[in-house]
Amino acid sequence: MKKTNLEEINRNIYDIKNKDEYDYKIKKGLTKEIIEEISKQKNDPDWMREFRLKALEVYNHLELPTWGPDLSELNMDEIATYVRPKTKLSTSWDDVPEDIKNTFDQLGIPEAEKASLAGVGAQYDSEVVYHSMKEELIKQGVIYTDMETAIREYPDLVREHFMKCVPVYDHKFVALHGAVWSGGSFVYVPKGVKVDIPLQSYFRLNSPESGQFEHTLIIVDEGASLHFIEGCSAPKYNKVNLHAGCVELYVRDNAYLRYSTIENWSKNMLNLNTKKAIVGRNAKMEWVSGSFGSKISMLYPMSILNGENSKTEFTGISFAGHGQNLDNGFKVVHNAKNTSSVVNAKSISKNGGKCTYRSLVRVNENAINSKSSVSCESLMLDDISISDTIPVNDIRTDEVEFSHEAKIGKISDKAIFYLMSRGLSEEDAKAMIVRGFASSVSKELPVEYAVEMNNLINLELEGSIG
Amino acid sequence: MEEMILNETPVRTSRNFHINDIKLKDIMIPENMTSFHNVLIQQDTSDISIDENIDDISCIYGVGSPLMNMPSNKTLKMTINSKSNKEVKVDFSFNPDNLNLMDKIELIANENTNATVILKYEATCNEACFHNLILKVFAHENSNLNVIIINFMNLSSHHFMSIDNELGDYANVNYTIIDLGGKESITNYYSNLVGKASQNHINVIYLGKENELFDLNYIGELRGEKSDIHIEVEGALADHSKKHFKGTIDFKKGAKKAKGNENESCMLLSDTAKSLSLPMLLCSEEDVEGNHSSSAGKIGKSELFYLMSRGFNEKEAMKLMVRAKFNHIIESIKNETLKEEILQKIDERLD
Amino acid sequence: MSKQLLEIKDLSVNVEDKEILKGINLKINQGEVHVIMGPNGGGKTTTANAIFNNPIYTKQGGSIHFFGEDITNLKTDEIARKGIFMSFQLPEEIPGISVANFLRYSKSKMTGEPVKMVDFQITLMKYARELKMNPKNLQRSLNVGFSGGEKKKNEILQMLVLNPKLAILDETDSGLDVDAIKTVSKGIEMFKNDENAVLIITHNTKILRSLKVDFVHILIDGKIVKTGDASLAKKIEEEGYEKYKAEVEES
Repeated sequence: MKKTNLEEINRNIYDIKNKDEYDYKIKKGLTKEIIEEISKQKNDPDWMREFRLKALEVYNHLELPTWGPDLSELNMDEIATYVRPKTKLSTSWDDVPEDIKNTFDQLGIPEAEKASLAGVGAQYDSEVVYHSMKEELIKQGVIYTDMETAIREYPDLVREHFMKCVPVYDHKFVALHGAVWSGGSFVYVPKGVKVDIPLQSYFRLNSPESGQFEHTLIIVDEGASLHFIEGCSAPKYNKVNLHAGCVELYVRDNAYLRYSTIENWSKNMLNLNTKKAIVGRNAKMEWVSGSFGSKISMLYPMSILNGENSKTEFTGISFAGHGQNLDNGFKVVHNAKNTSSVVNAKSISKNGGKCTYRSLVRVNENAINSKSSVSCESLMLDDISISDTIPVNDIRTDEVEFSHEAKIGKISDKAIFYLMSRGLSEEDAKAMIVRGFASSVSKELPVEYAVEMNNLINLELEGSIG
Repeated sequence: MEEMILNETPVRTSRNFHINDIKLKDIMIPENMTSFHNVLIQQDTSDISIDENIDDISCIYGVGSPLMNMPSNKTLKMTINSKSNKEVKVDFSFNPDNLNLMDKIELIANENTNATVILKYEATCNEACFHNLILKVFAHENSNLNVIIINFMNLSSHHFMSIDNELGDYANVNYTIIDLGGKESITNYYSNLVGKASQNHINVIYLGKENELFDLNYIGELRGEKSDIHIEVEGALADHSKKHFKGTIDFKKGAKKAKGNENESCMLLSDTAKSLSLPMLLCSEEDVEGNHSSSAGKIGKSELFYLMSRGFNEKEAMKLMVRAKFNHIIESIKNETLKEEILQKIDERLD
Repeated sequence: MSKQLLEIKDLSVNVEDKEILKGINLKINQGEVHVIMGPNGGGKTTTANAIFNNPIYTKQGGSIHFFGEDITNLKTDEIARKGIFMSFQLPEEIPGISVANFLRYSKSKMTGEPVKMVDFQITLMKYARELKMNPKNLQRSLNVGFSGGEKKKNEILQMLVLNPKLAILDETDSGLDVDAIKTVSKGIEMFKNDENAVLIITHNTKILRSLKVDFVHILIDGKIVKTGDASLAKKIEEEGYEKYKAEVEES
């Protein structure tokens, strides 16, 4: 049924399984001893070891969420939280072991790096195996490295920010992350420096019955700007894998950050990720998010608009197919005068998949003259799928313009007929309408990623409509 | 006194959002309630029979068990047989001798009937009153029923309503609810649109002042083909008043070509008023149309300026704007006296 | 020698349970311009949709042949690929796909061959200029936010680009001002040649003044009650449909 004019998609790309080879894999489970062992393996400074142990305590005290998807199949006793690949961090792809390099080659990372990126980080299981950035950015003082290096080389900067934006007691899986985190990227863009070409980190989980817990910490200093892209994938296994990453973003006064994600975890993944940004005066935070993979996803990026005149935008799409329960959304807290938020969220459900848009817009008492406008659209591609919209709007001041709109429905028969009258088959017509529906997200992505996203949509649509 | 957890939403969201339910303390459920005498029934027809004995009625949701399980001190069963639109009006007046009312009302609209039922609850005293209604409606095939509920309780009263409707094929049930609150006003409204092409339109006005709290939980489940629900909520909040609106439109499997609309809009008349809303759309059917919109804000500066340039002072202009916002709902009430009364009460509340 | 393009035989069509077309017959040859006129509700739009096998319109009987081939029950896209085009009365808005990309894609479907980007752009710009379309509209989402006139011009643009054998124009002139009607007529003239044919569906006659019309059919109450040459349209303009309506009632 592949009749699209886009290039043929190789569905195997994401599914290449390398042998489960590693330098070190911690035993399954979550105990104090295991945490101490991870800390030892990672050569943590003392403060980090203590931090991990404290986080474990918080984890043990917190309950699972009483809402959203059922997480009962997650058994931490069956998950290995730390898997060190059999290689060291390299700054040249030539030094990355053959099988790992092949994986990233197939995913198009080194190629994208040459064509359109200013820097790349690549993580394989629990550790970053490759990190590199263009020389001129290094000269301008931009730091882009893995978290482990950052802790060694910029201890004060890291310690001042690490899990301060997302505190460990936020929810159970943040606490888990605090205890077992490994890998991830650290970015610092100095005052006034504009990074025009995106940086990208790619996260690949190869090891079965394991988890990935990378930590991304980005500081865009005053007046600086950055576009950061995050990609992720994993081959499919029979038992669940867990992803509980954490992204902390500090967007200082007058700064700009765009954070784009294309998430394509395998469909045995529980994606319980946490992302939060603190936005300063006159600063702007933009989120672009495409969520395609995972068995269960609970992901609600959050912007805290702490500075006057700060702005945030969220543009996201979720596409749930058979066996997927994607509970995604966005949270924003308006916490200063003249702040604004714009949300454009879309979802597509087909073949028994479930999409939920869950959100919070809070406008605090002090956020006078703020504006918030939210638009949600859900597309149902058949009558066995589910689509829910669960938005909370908490307005605590009268000096506000707040509006929220949501729509749910199917592809219009009239639109299909119109396109068919122009020679498109029914499948093509539907695929075109779906791609058009998703274009609010794909047009925000650099072209290679927009193509990848369209490919993912085609892949998801294949064989499912007609 | 124990804390009561009431008005839970059909689907939960994060506890940190404080909207899954409402926790109330300091509510004294009256014991040994004597019967409530101040009830005036007016009707222009014998086609609607009224009986004090009702069937055992239950609600799918309701505000919550501590209140639902209370013994009642007034029961009414109305059976509608009128073919042309006939009206029944029941006035419940609260005074120092009739402070507490737990009323259970059963409303049966038989096939092909047409009627309007008005339930009015008014406190004519300043004492704290207690009102707790359970209303069960069966709208049979092709019936046309208008229900108007007026809450004119005072600001120290507790006001609870559990409403449960079941709509048959082609049944058409319209609600107009004018809610001027109380210390707290808690509404749980549920409609089961099981009938083919059944229609349920709900218009709600609320107006809050001082420390009033509204917790409004409206749930519509669409099961019948081409069923249609429309929830329209218009409100204004002054002083420290607070509103939680929880609206759920749930398209169940089989509700092909069903439509659900939900519009909620809140006018904030003070910087200490608070509006919390959760307009949910749940969908397990493909061929449906669901929309919701929600908005909040204060009166536009330009409108206010325009009215003031025409000689209205700020308060008058504000009243005019609130009235304008409520107008389309109030206009749908055909009973002229009642309409006047509502407008007057709203004016008084805004003073 | 001109060949027969379209032949409709005894076509009856229902919408839901309502009988709309009650057995119509129509033959269109290459090089001809046909007009179907008639009051609202008479079945004009139904005829166009039935040719295109719109699933909302159910055929009760009769057949449609194109170049001698039975196309009565083909799918809409198959019919389109045979070389029939329909300009919609209310063109659909499709967000997220630009006019240019859509047309290039559609053209490749029609021809079964990839379409070269550069050549295509040139052709597209040429037609857009002729139709006095804002070139920016070609990069906008298909019909989204277009005015009524822009949508109609966009339909004519599609007709020119796709270059079908038979173009059916359903109320293409309705809601257009005088200048826009002129532009649309010009588009039709550009399209028209001895190999193809045009079927215009309309309820007014303005658009016919600047076109050479071969046959006019009057469709009332699901039947073609009269067929004549261009002079019939003039007559309708002067006398209206009343006379023909009365005839239907009598019969």
